[in-house]
Amino acid sequence: MNHHLGKVKVRLSSSNPPAFTFRGFSVAMPILFLIRSVTVGRWVAVAVLAGAIHASHEPLGRANERVDYERDVKPIFAARCFACHGALKQEGGLRLDTGASARRGGDSGEAIAPGDVESSPLIARVTAEDLSERMPPEGEPLEPEQAAMLAAWIAQGADSPADEKPETDPREHWAFRPVVRPSVPEPADAGWGRNPIDAFIADYQQRHGLVPQVEATRAELIRRLYLDLVGLPPTFEELASVNAVQSADWYERLADRLLDDPRHGERWARHWMDIWRYSDWWGLGDQLRNSQLHIWHWRDWIVESLNADTPYDEMVRLMLAADELHPNDLDKLRASGFLARNYVLFNRNQWMDETVEHVGKAFLGLTLNCAKCHDHKYDPIEQVDYYRMRAFFEPYHVRLDVVPGEADLSRDGIPRAFDGAVDAPTYLFVRGQEAQPDTSTVISPGVPKLLAFHELNVEPTPLPAEAWQPERRAWVREAYLAAADKNVAAAEGGVAAAISRPAATEDATKAAIADAERRVAEQTLVAALMERRSVKARFDAMQAAWANVDDATPNATLATAEKAKTAEAVAAERQAAVAKANRSVADVELRLLRAAADAKAPLETELNTARQALEEAKKLAATPATESDRFTPLMGAKWTPTRFLNSTADDPTVTFAPQSTGRRTALAEWITDDRNPLTARVAVNHLWTRHFGAPLVATTFDFGRKGNPPAHVELLDWLAAELMESGWSMKHIHRLIVNSATYRMSSSIAWRESNLASDPDNAGWWRRAPIRLESQAVRDSILSLAGTLDLTRGGPPVIPAEQAASHRRSLYFFHSNNDREMFLTAFDEATVTECYRREESIVPQQALALTNSQLVLDSSKLIAERITKLQEADSPASDDAEFVRRAFHALLGIAASDGEIASSLQALESWRQHPEQTERSPRANLIWVLLNHNDFVTLR
Amino acid sequence: MSTFPNHRCESCESSLGSPDSMAAFESRRSCLLKMGRGLAGLALGVMLHRESAAAAHAWSPPDGLPHFAPKAKNVIWLFMNGGVSHMESFDPKPMLTKYAGKTIAETPFADTQDPKKLALERLVVPDANGNQRNTLYPLQVGFRRHGESGIEVSDWFPHIARNVDRLAVVRSMWTTDSNHGAQTQFHSGRHRNDGDFPTLGAWVHYGLGSLNDNLPQFISIGTREYWNKRDGYYLGPAHDAVPMRIDPSNPLDFGQPQRPLAAGEQAIGVELIRELNGMRGGLYPHDPALAARIASYELAFKMQRSVPEALDFSQETEATKKLYGLDLPHCREFGAQLLASRRLVEKGVRFIQIQHGGGGAGAWDAHSGLKGNHESLSRAVDQPVGALLEDLDQRGMLEETMVVFATEFGRTPGSQGADGRDHHIFGFSVWMAGGGLKRGVVHGATDEIGFHAVENRHYVTDIHATILRQLGLDPRKLEVPGRKRLEIDYGVPIGEIIA
Repeated sequence: MNHHLGKVKVRLSSSNPPAFTFRGFSVAMPILFLIRSVTVGRWVAVAVLAGAIHASHEPLGRANERVDYERDVKPIFAARCFACHGALKQEGGLRLDTGASARRGGDSGEAIAPGDVESSPLIARVTAEDLSERMPPEGEPLEPEQAAMLAAWIAQGADSPADEKPETDPREHWAFRPVVRPSVPEPADAGWGRNPIDAFIADYQQRHGLVPQVEATRAELIRRLYLDLVGLPPTFEELASVNAVQSADWYERLADRLLDDPRHGERWARHWMDIWRYSDWWGLGDQLRNSQLHIWHWRDWIVESLNADTPYDEMVRLMLAADELHPNDLDKLRASGFLARNYVLFNRNQWMDETVEHVGKAFLGLTLNCAKCHDHKYDPIEQVDYYRMRAFFEPYHVRLDVVPGEADLSRDGIPRAFDGAVDAPTYLFVRGQEAQPDTSTVISPGVPKLLAFHELNVEPTPLPAEAWQPERRAWVREAYLAAADKNVAAAEGGVAAAISRPAATEDATKAAIADAERRVAEQTLVAALMERRSVKARFDAMQAAWANVDDATPNATLATAEKAKTAEAVAAERQAAVAKANRSVADVELRLLRAAADAKAPLETELNTARQALEEAKKLAATPATESDRFTPLMGAKWTPTRFLNSTADDPTVTFAPQSTGRRTALAEWITDDRNPLTARVAVNHLWTRHFGAPLVATTFDFGRKGNPPAHVELLDWLAAELMESGWSMKHIHRLIVNSATYRMSSSIAWRESNLASDPDNAGWWRRAPIRLESQAVRDSILSLAGTLDLTRGGPPVIPAEQAASHRRSLYFFHSNNDREMFLTAFDEATVTECYRREESIVPQQALALTNSQLVLDSSKLIAERITKLQEADSPASDDAEFVRRAFHALLGIAASDGEIASSLQALESWRQHPEQTERSPRANLIWVLLNHNDFVTLR
Repeated sequence: MSTFPNHRCESCESSLGSPDSMAAFESRRSCLLKMGRGLAGLALGVMLHRESAAAAHAWSPPDGLPHFAPKAKNVIWLFMNGGVSHMESFDPKPMLTKYAGKTIAETPFADTQDPKKLALERLVVPDANGNQRNTLYPLQVGFRRHGESGIEVSDWFPHIARNVDRLAVVRSMWTTDSNHGAQTQFHSGRHRNDGDFPTLGAWVHYGLGSLNDNLPQFISIGTREYWNKRDGYYLGPAHDAVPMRIDPSNPLDFGQPQRPLAAGEQAIGVELIRELNGMRGGLYPHDPALAARIASYELAFKMQRSVPEALDFSQETEATKKLYGLDLPHCREFGAQLLASRRLVEKGVRFIQIQHGGGGAGAWDAHSGLKGNHESLSRAVDQPVGALLEDLDQRGMLEETMVVFATEFGRTPGSQGADGRDHHIFGFSVWMAGGGLKRGVVHGATDEIGFHAVENRHYVTDIHATILRQLGLDPRKLEVPGRKRLEIDYGVPIGEIIA
């Protein structure tokens, strides 16, 4: 119904049930007036008597209730206005983070007129239909009931508490302040702790009235240490030897030993591979579209680095800038697989976006990606900062470098970053849209102002010749020559075989074929020899050219030598081409002889073509090389082609330049500087998360203002300081953590139920959180217990077709978007594109995988046999109870209870009595059951 | 009518959630993840109790119940990979034949080439395909009106045409990826350049509890190309569809013991697993993961029986098998998939996603030889789809089951090469049936040459919104903290086709 009240047209909606429809959404409202102010000419939503959102299900009697600023108004400002009118920014000089500042207004005067809705520009702006007027300017307009709530608040006088505190300054945000080592608290009850970690935890617990859980049993601790530090349960032999140690420091010694175990690097590499987005290549069919061939070199570098306790800061520097810092060190260049992995065949923007996003999330805990389209809503990151970060990466492309011993890059090579597109400009995309680059300004590399602590030092880095002319590397020549030698040797073998074959004299056709086979073998050998000669000649010519170029002064001798060697190389290559063409002719001739009469015609054509090619090759070889003739140089590296321009052809080749921009080195220096407040904090949080099953900072990839301050910020800072002051030693942090009493607690709630009421989420770390083992650890554990785990380290990944039969550790399985390994998938395998934390689901597919898979059924037999055999050594092999005890201990880290033994014995008996027995032994079935026990896939 | 929001942002933090929701979210979420979905009612009571008034703004995970009374319970999602020609299926355009051989500029429809209208497209990369083709190509098949509704359907789909009075045909779809990333886009609502996002089926799986705990609730049948292989993404792999094969002896991965194990032996073991896990409960009280694991074994044990049962067609009559074309080589494969789907729906599977012609660009991708291509593919799917509609309806199941027939985009009105059509994002058709939708209606329209959707335009997420509405879900209540969803992700239910 519409009423005209003087100048104001009012539509009263108070039907029963009260409802108001706005843009398709039905909003229950007690009473709502939509007032169209004739003077201003726009609709104003006012809930004059509104109980509004919270009262929407209340009877109309509550309609007179006053608006509660804290409950009803401030959340609206916080959600929709603070980003521009708060501590982060003060657009128009206006702040809305306190009622007082809202009443104070901004540069252009008052925003609200208490008691007078119509004179309050704030209401006019949030309800404006004109998009250039409307607030907030981005995203959806306020919901009508939100606007109504603000109006009601103003109508009632716009009160707010006098002691209201404004939003804290972003500079004061805990994660943006420098890391200062906090003093270690001295809790009243110091008896419990083992190291400073425990002092922080005990201090918190005592302040919150929490009682820490008792220490886990020795069997649990052994299993915990093994799985946590090496990703495998102890083998039977290891278990026996650990159990034999009686000294008081058995635990610390075991921890040290496991940290030095090469399997430790494999275990923790998989964690970092999640965070750093390790992925083997994927694409459509054979077309590589993402990541790179041979990216496993990066995985091996991670494993080796962790085992060597390479400092974390060094690892980050190498991943971002090894090509500038160690341009000729293949081992270190493997690290830049981190960047090579981000390769996207078709779209540069997607590539750059992923790089910026995940460098921000993984190393800095910053959601830089939120600033792609607009200024960050929570953190001091302007939109232009996003593109400044992108500018660090704008020049980089990816190439494969030849490794010693393999000249064929399709078989091996190091995928790595290099600055190729050195002049590529970075532009800000208006509203993040790649179709709208702002080409008026080229964006330079830079970091968000608030996080800058020194002048960024971007110095172009000159590269040694071997880096940008990788064919100069000694091993490249050797690899090519070795390959040529190998071909020669194979061809010699072919000739020997052809000659030694008994001659078929009777049958003319057979004799002709044997003859032709011999000719093919001979021509193959000639071609191989000529090719080897060509390779040598070309390297000689290349070396002569380098000698000439490297000599600072003009040198006639060197120039002459270069010319001569070049001519020789051209000639040798041409002669090699003749030999190859000869071989082709011989080959077609042989196939023609072998072919049935009706299949000869196409081969005749092919033979003609081959003969023509031979004639041409001969003609060219007979022509003396002129000065302008060039040979085909041998490659020491190959740019991985992109198809940004047109997907049906490679883009113009990006060449290797003699200098790099130095941008990524500058970025790496800033990230790994001790003054960077984020890097060490983010790193220790990653470490803590994986040791304890839960993080100190819940959002492991976002340390910004959106998240809550962590409950244990001092502990986090202490660990961050420890990390940096130990020279960024991750093993130092591992050791501190696993040796803490906090780590050694039982994961049970029993006897500590009193803690549940005040801290059900274990914020005070009063017990250990049980961890559902990661997919890889589940599979690897089963193989290890069965004694079938293949501990071969490193190398190319196991391809999907070979995975079912493979016993390698799971981190060596090909991991990409093209395929899913179903056993690992069932246990929440890492998502290829982003995995800052593993999920820990419990779904029936896991039960199916563990009850029915060949892996478990086969392994359970082997495990049963192993236990039985070990048992024979010191007790009667037939003692089932002893078998049960040993099995529980080895598989679950449990000292079996009487009840568990009784039930197991009964089941063994049932299996024995069962009429439809398969060849499986009852003991194998018992092991199969224990592999399905909750505590097998759980790290207690 | 959907339009793009005026800006896009990939995955930034929601501006809707209040900052203090994060910590609370973290612990609840990890608990829930441990519980897994599909374990309805299992010890969830404690975890999922409604938040107190003080935490009214805090996020809470889905409780497995619909947000409002649902009209439909199940979805059978048929997706034709490669792009079906809308003009030669459900949106016939005689003008193509009339103006065949003319360039669009020479026809009265030159305004379709308005660059503003063509700006919808978002390229992954320039490509030989996904271009506009300007010489009109005549219809390659006849069409006629069918049923009481008189809806025109091409002669390549006689069995579906017979059921046309059961369909709600939407002829005004549009999307933005002019290459086969549009396959993903139709499932997730997002362009490839935006990254990876959960698919509709994953959201349904995330949002709704189980109809039958003996069966996986989200099943995928058929080949899927790498960009369309997963569903859960940030909802987690637990919300990926479970791949199923139409092979009763080996329908699921690990669905049967891969080594000899007698059923009786297994039963003794499963009982012992239950017993031993239960005994640990004394040492580990209040351990939701332990309770969830015990339940998951009960479900798994039932599942390995119920899944092969669902695929055992021996209980079906000969007439039914014939109806689905199981006796005909050209449509046996798809017929078996659809008959299995009906049986799975009968047993309470929530969402079945069937990919036809999946792998690579997709079988329907008729850049050349469109006539032969569509003729043979329509023969493969038409009879089974018609059978499914009739069968479901006869059994009274169509009321609560939504059947969706969709494809990533249409094909160009103009010819590509001598006898093909290229990808076409500006207008194409999908249809839905059952689950409380109107029957025998056409909604929306393209212009006279099938170029642009011009009436009641719908982006792909409007189909999602329609399905979610019928299932009783409000996508805005399926928020996940830390993940921003855009207006375009939610879509708008197509009210005009809802009964």
